[in-house]
Amino acid sequence: MVINESLQTTNLISGAIEAPRYSCALAGAYSTAVGIFGVVPILHSGAGCGIGQLFGQFYGGGQNAGGPYGGTSTPCSSLVEEHVIFGGEKKLESLIESTVELVNGELFAVISGCVPSLIGDDVGSVIRRFKEKKPEVPIIHVNTSGFAGTSYEGYEYFFDAIIDQLLEETPKEKGLVNVFGIVPFQHIFWKGEAREIKTLLEKIGLKANLIVGEFDALENLKKIPAAEYNIVLSSWIGHKTAKKLEEKFDTPYISFPGIPIGPKQTSEFLRVIGERLDVSADVIEDLIASEEKRAYRLAEYVGDVLLIARPHPYFAVVSDSDSAVSITKYLANEMGYLPDLVQIADNPPEEARELINEELTNGLETPAWPEIIYEVDAYRIRENLKDRSFMFLLASSLETFISGPEFNAIHLTVSFPSYDRIILERSYAGFSGGLTLMEDVMSKYAGPL
Amino acid sequence: MSGTELTENELIEERIDLSRATCPNREQRANGINVWYGKASDLAKEARSGCLRQRERNFQQSSGCVLNFYLSVRIGTIRDAVAIYHAPVGCSSAALGYRELYRHVPVELGRPANYDLHWITTNLGERDVVYGAGEKLREAIKEAERRYNPKAIFVLTSCTSGIIGEDIEGVVSQVQPEIKATIVPIHCEGSRSKLVQTGYDAFWHAVLKYLVKKPEKKQKDLVNVASMLSYTWQDRLEIKRLLGKVGLRVNFVPEFASVEQFEQLSEAAVTAPLCPTYTDYLARGLKQEYGVPYFLYPSPMGVAHTDEWLREIGRHTGKEREIEALIKEEHEKWLPKLKAIRQEFENFKGNGEKVEVLGALGQGRLLAQVPYFDELGLKSSAAMCQDFDNLILKDLEKLIAQMGDFDILVNTFQAAEQTHITNQRNPDIAMTCPFQGGAFKRDKGVTRVHALRSDAHPWSAQSGYTGAIAFGNFLLQSLKSHSYQRTMLEKTKSTYRDWWYKQPNSLYYLEAED
Repeated sequence: MVINESLQTTNLISGAIEAPRYSCALAGAYSTAVGIFGVVPILHSGAGCGIGQLFGQFYGGGQNAGGPYGGTSTPCSSLVEEHVIFGGEKKLESLIESTVELVNGELFAVISGCVPSLIGDDVGSVIRRFKEKKPEVPIIHVNTSGFAGTSYEGYEYFFDAIIDQLLEETPKEKGLVNVFGIVPFQHIFWKGEAREIKTLLEKIGLKANLIVGEFDALENLKKIPAAEYNIVLSSWIGHKTAKKLEEKFDTPYISFPGIPIGPKQTSEFLRVIGERLDVSADVIEDLIASEEKRAYRLAEYVGDVLLIARPHPYFAVVSDSDSAVSITKYLANEMGYLPDLVQIADNPPEEARELINEELTNGLETPAWPEIIYEVDAYRIRENLKDRSFMFLLASSLETFISGPEFNAIHLTVSFPSYDRIILERSYAGFSGGLTLMEDVMSKYAGPL
Repeated sequence: MSGTELTENELIEERIDLSRATCPNREQRANGINVWYGKASDLAKEARSGCLRQRERNFQQSSGCVLNFYLSVRIGTIRDAVAIYHAPVGCSSAALGYRELYRHVPVELGRPANYDLHWITTNLGERDVVYGAGEKLREAIKEAERRYNPKAIFVLTSCTSGIIGEDIEGVVSQVQPEIKATIVPIHCEGSRSKLVQTGYDAFWHAVLKYLVKKPEKKQKDLVNVASMLSYTWQDRLEIKRLLGKVGLRVNFVPEFASVEQFEQLSEAAVTAPLCPTYTDYLARGLKQEYGVPYFLYPSPMGVAHTDEWLREIGRHTGKEREIEALIKEEHEKWLPKLKAIRQEFENFKGNGEKVEVLGALGQGRLLAQVPYFDELGLKSSAAMCQDFDNLILKDLEKLIAQMGDFDILVNTFQAAEQTHITNQRNPDIAMTCPFQGGAFKRDKGVTRVHALRSDAHPWSAQSGYTGAIAFGNFLLQSLKSHSYQRTMLEKTKSTYRDWWYKQPNSLYYLEAED
């Protein structure tokens, strides 16, 4: 398979790619570990993997520093030539021991990179020996590598290791739900999204275990099997994890094509959840009524800038599939914008594409259906943006400086990479998230009317 | 001093062998190490006698590799080129900012209005690891040419391409006849060396071997300056301004340079350093292959070193008189300002004590910064540097003779060690590189060691005379609020357990010698 082969027909992209909007499986597992507050990642890899992902995931995912355990704070076995020849197991063994001694943390996650995978280090036995010595220290091994997939697959690898190595059968807890599908840093609004979803679910009386973006890492992870239901907020990411939990702990799951943005999507989300989890319809409808009332009252205030300056413009999106669906639906169904082109850059598997396509056509309150292109290559994404009608481009910071000169479009970074927007707790999730999205879009052109 | 002293040619492998695919590692070329803590004078003695050797740590943190510290965020800035990473997809994700780099520099400050940067990953997967991926690399090279018609295509290797034994040279020589661009393979497997500086040499080796052309004519007014990412746009402007005043032009490579600028390196009158050990391999290679003279010390940081730097250039370009006139003119303008800054530092503590600063980053910056701090009236009784090798030994000895002894912690971004030494020394100003982990959480001054390349604000300059003044004022400013770092110290949990700060040794995890 070569570079100019169509990417739309296959799920496995094996050709060369210009600047794909994700990193490797190690990076995804590492980002997930860093995104669960209290997990200490230990990289069993070359010395550059942590710093590389500081730039390539944490800075890229909303210009965030590494925090207490990411970037240069991450313990790393720093493998070089001599380990390629003699193995890196001994190095890892002493690294694990010193890390546990030195670093404050709740759960230690050894993440293997390319080098140990290629040289055949038996990391499992290193961990087993350590566990025999110190059974009280929670530790797992995420057996992955850089060439084993993308950041998104790395997220699944992380939870796969959690399920196999940490979780035990636990009695179900009424009203407890886990939420999967939000990938730290790849989904640049992950912290705010997790918090908003938690709040929403709590408002209808559920106990939500978001795991990412939350403290008490070990406790939260351990209670995964106790959940009554798993909620997956993605058309494809987190599905493997949810299926495995269903097989192993008999937890059913329900999935949504993305994070709900604005009142329409959020109401639908809550109604479906309410039905599945047996929440009283009154509770759900009361919440929807009061939240909607406020969201739409405030939405009246954008009326003039929306209708006088840029009414019903065409727009294009370049993003991961989950953000693409939610953002397109919000702009089309609540702002009156017209979708021109949606490019999906996270390479979802074939079975997810059907749902994504359905959401981006029949799910829209406009006959102007967008062209949908699955594309990961930055050159072709750019080519595909040429000679279109769109006036707004909701994409990544790769488009920040080309959007105006090349496409005459107003640009907003809403997806990875986001080097030009610092994202701490902002998100577009929930009833008022749509307002935030409108603020961000319209602030790009607002001026005296 | 114990044992025998090694002579210069025993200390450094001076000859550059361009018939080879790549350079020797810094470990071999100049006995480089990145683990050491103690008196600078002892470090120099050990190095001089040949006893200095790399030791192991039992605790290590991610610190960058030959590819991913420097090359992955740099090669992609070469303007009419394409960088191809022959690697799994994650090795190049650090380069994802490529379309934004330098865009914030106003065109009025000399940035070209139109340029476009490019990189491609061969996206090595499980199948490639088993069957090899030469064909993919070949196709990627062809696609790069088809898309962008570049003047050069850089091929960067990775741990994976190295371990599976990809024949890079074979692919390159096979495909080159079909390709107009010059293909430049850079051997930067992360696993090849413990020292990130090996990446510098590997890059320059490839530049010397493939890109630099035989001189068509000598350009007597052209000065090569290898500019790193830690030097800003304003630093370039200052260097251009100074050399422009005496009728000299500057050839800044490699960041954001055109391929033609690399081709012309052989025609310059002299190669001058910003950072000596960064420039070393290039400078030696240009001298050896094309007779371009060079000097490696000093760098243009601080007034006295800028004077000397200019004089060296003057000697190589026949501009001694003009340079002296320039220095005089500049001194009249800047020395009073320097004096004012010095005074403010002197008065800061109110008890006659000097303001103490803990700084440095690369070994080159160490040589430049310590005397500059002295010029500002600051005290630096300890310093950190990423690595140490014999390339700077002579200059380190000179520095100790001039400044007196000081403590030195050699480590490449070891955040726990850096947090520890910062805590122990408790300087008034701790200069932190952006990636130094929790070292910034403290109750005293914290600021950055340097800004990054596309920072075009005059406030961020460090080079030359304007930089000496700007950075002095910048450091003064850093003393005026501690609120962010203090709040973080109070309100967030430390990454490390309490015992770490209570024991005295920053290199606690140094492995015992056999």
